[in-house]
Amino acid sequence: MLELSNITLGHFILLSCVLFTIGMVGVLVRRNVIVILMSIELMLNAVNLAFVAFSRHHNLADGQVIVFFVMAIAAAEAAIGLAIAISVFRKFNGVEIRLFENLKG
Amino acid sequence: MDIYPIVFHFFAALVTISALGVVLMPSPIYSALCLALTMLFLSGLFFILDAQFLAAVQLMVYAGAVVVLFVMVLMLFDLRNENQPFSGNWRVNLSKLGVIALGFILIALPCTYLMKASNSEWLQSRGLETKKLAELLFSKHIFAFEVVGALLTVVLIGAIALAKAKGGTHARTE
Repeated sequence: MLELSNITLGHFILLSCVLFTIGMVGVLVRRNVIVILMSIELMLNAVNLAFVAFSRHHNLADGQVIVFFVMAIAAAEAAIGLAIAISVFRKFNGVEIRLFENLKG
Repeated sequence: MDIYPIVFHFFAALVTISALGVVLMPSPIYSALCLALTMLFLSGLFFILDAQFLAAVQLMVYAGAVVVLFVMVLMLFDLRNENQPFSGNWRVNLSKLGVIALGFILIALPCTYLMKASNSEWLQSRGLETKKLAELLFSKHIFAFEVVGALLTVVLIGAIALAKAKGGTHARTE
């Protein structure tokens, strides 16, 4: 089934799938908010890999431009997520995801 | 004999192992280190896809900035006593894993079809130049570029406003 000596587009997309799945498992089963944010980064990176592979396959640079934007958004998301984690830690003295239940306006 | 299959399988295995490390390591600081490794090996994959600029940006932005930010925040917290890294009981987690596995199979099956249908000549052909990327970024996608710039400014102010408090992270609450 798996061709080992012949690297096709499918190999890269399958790797991207695996990476996305690992990231999603991390988001669903971990308790620590910081590890959840790291898993989200993994998922974004899986999408980046798929974008670059498709861009190479079709010889179009637009995919790489979008990866550039995704990286900027991912950095922004990490900064905001960590800032929220810091303020939650200050209030509840922990960064578990269930502490977010106690937040209200 | 060409080098692409060996390099691809090497980096693919390393990326998968280190990504599993992010999720499975009980200590968040080891998760962060595994995340740095994942970014490093992913930039290797970007190199074999002839995306040199993105590989360099991946190293600088992710391994250099984002992971360092994660590690810094982890050091700010004092998380020595994390006794339960995974949420829920094993039955809930098993059902979550089952649903994810189903979704994975549904997406991975077309990939195996793609493996048989397409060839590997696309990797040998001449790749895109970074110049092409720059031209597109500053002509066709200039509006999105400016919007991302504005977004980063907003995020900068928002992050300061969210994390700012008198007395730092260990401020006493009365």
